[in-house]
Amino acid sequence: MLEISGVYKTFTQKNGATNALQDVHLSIKKGEFVVLVGPSGCGKSTLLNIIAGLEKPTSGQVCKEGRPILEAGPDRMVMFQEAALFPWLKVIENVEYGMKIKGLGKRERREKAIHFLKMVHLTRFATAYPHELSVGMRQRVALARALSMDSDILLMDEPFAALDSQTKSILHTELQQIWCATKKTIIFVTHNVDEAVLLADRVIVMTANPGRIKKEFRVQLGRPRNIEDIDLARTVGQILGELKEEVEKVAKAELDSDWTLENNSFVPGSNTHLGNGI
Amino acid sequence: MQDLSIPIAAQISMRRLLVGYLISLLVGLLLGIMISRSKYLDETLSPLLLGMQTLPSICWIPLAILWFGLGEESIIFVIVIGAIFSISMAVVSGIKNVPPLFIRAAKTMGAKGWHSYTTVVIPAALPSIISGMKQGWSFAWRALMAGELLTPTSGLGYVLIMGRDLHDMNQVVGIMLVIVIMGLVIDRLIFARAENAILYRWGLSRN
Ligand SMILES: Nc1ncnc2c1ncn2[C@@H]1O[C@H](COP(=O)(O)OP(=O)(O)O)[C@@H](O)[C@H]1O
Ligand SMILES: [Mg+2]
Repeated sequence: MLEISGVYKTFTQKNGATNALQDVHLSIKKGEFVVLVGPSGCGKSTLLNIIAGLEKPTSGQVCKEGRPILEAGPDRMVMFQEAALFPWLKVIENVEYGMKIKGLGKRERREKAIHFLKMVHLTRFATAYPHELSVGMRQRVALARALSMDSDILLMDEPFAALDSQTKSILHTELQQIWCATKKTIIFVTHNVDEAVLLADRVIVMTANPGRIKKEFRVQLGRPRNIEDIDLARTVGQILGELKEEVEKVAKAELDSDWTLENNSFVPGSNTHLGNGI
Repeated sequence: MQDLSIPIAAQISMRRLLVGYLISLLVGLLLGIMISRSKYLDETLSPLLLGMQTLPSICWIPLAILWFGLGEESIIFVIVIGAIFSISMAVVSGIKNVPPLFIRAAKTMGAKGWHSYTTVVIPAALPSIISGMKQGWSFAWRALMAGELLTPTSGLGYVLIMGRDLHDMNQVVGIMLVIVIMGLVIDRLIFARAENAILYRWGLSRN
């Protein structure tokens, strides 16, 4: 359903050009849950923004069902790291914002907004203002808002990165349930390998400078998944092995040249937050 | 013979102030929106506005009198000039500082052009706009007094001048008090309240 072919993206600035993406090819099937992982700066957000239509590729193109993506549209909802709720609107009005543009009637909008707020367990806060909610609750509202648009694709750019681990794990469970219930195609960006393996059908490992796809892993574990699961930990270990080189490469470029990563600091499974810092 | 009673003078002054302020609000908003939509206008007009704002509005009075004569129009003109720069500059900076994330979010939900402008850009800029309006109002108030003192025809400023001419200390101090109280009441009751309400709703209030 999504066909990313030969996408390049170069950012030109005063002090030189960045090859944020180089020759990226990827096809994503309907209903698939794809997770992009990689060190920061490898172009994950850039790729997601290009799919969203918020950014244009320097060359190459992204096609959705055969038609090239030229601009942002409500068929590809985006969830950002920050909730991006409008502070002057109440929670429920935030959820209704996009449906109003879509032309849904007042009654239908309200009903759907309540339905999706229920899905993220926030009906009690329907009439609160965003600043009255916690960060995790705001992110839930953003999820409800994204779901309410009935888009077939959901793009998520590190949506849970700013949350504490408990909230995060609750949202992981909810997101998996919602995905199973709605059959949406989800493209999810994270730098946390645990999160990637927990959620993904397919994990795409990206590399930096230039940003490109290095390898992909299929995750064929049953759902719901548990972060302590031994098979899951094994996959996490494989991906971390792949990423270690990357992290080292990035660190070398940023830090002094004699910097190396301790060999034994990447023992898979010893710490559930491995890879958090990459 | 002009009426020297304070309530009538206050009423005349208030009417001028309202008319002048509304004009400057309207023109200032439009000017600000235009500037923020065009890079060219921004580069040419913004420094000019900033420069104009440093000129005390009382300095416009000679020019106003040359253009409009001694009278109502001159005073209104000075009020408009007094408030307009604060208002349009607040609009420009408010719009410039709208978080790009809001605009991106709105775009993905299908908001376009004017709709995105009225439902996202303007509301997001409102805290800055309202504080510019508040500042504009206090400048307008000062401009009004300057105008009425220098083109004495009627209003509080005129009564103040008459007090001087009649060596009536009570009248002079009384009018000064009236001016202070009216300024304070309007600022506290209308502008400070509106500003606080907006800051609270936007989640920007301290505390
Ligand atoms: N608007 C931009 N202008 C210039 N450089 C950018 C811009 N956006 C991203 N980049 C650069 O492109 C690279 C990839 O960025 P990004 O996609 O945000 O990475 P990631 O999301 O994987 O951390 C980085 O080196 C970043 O500095
Ligand atoms: Mg990113």
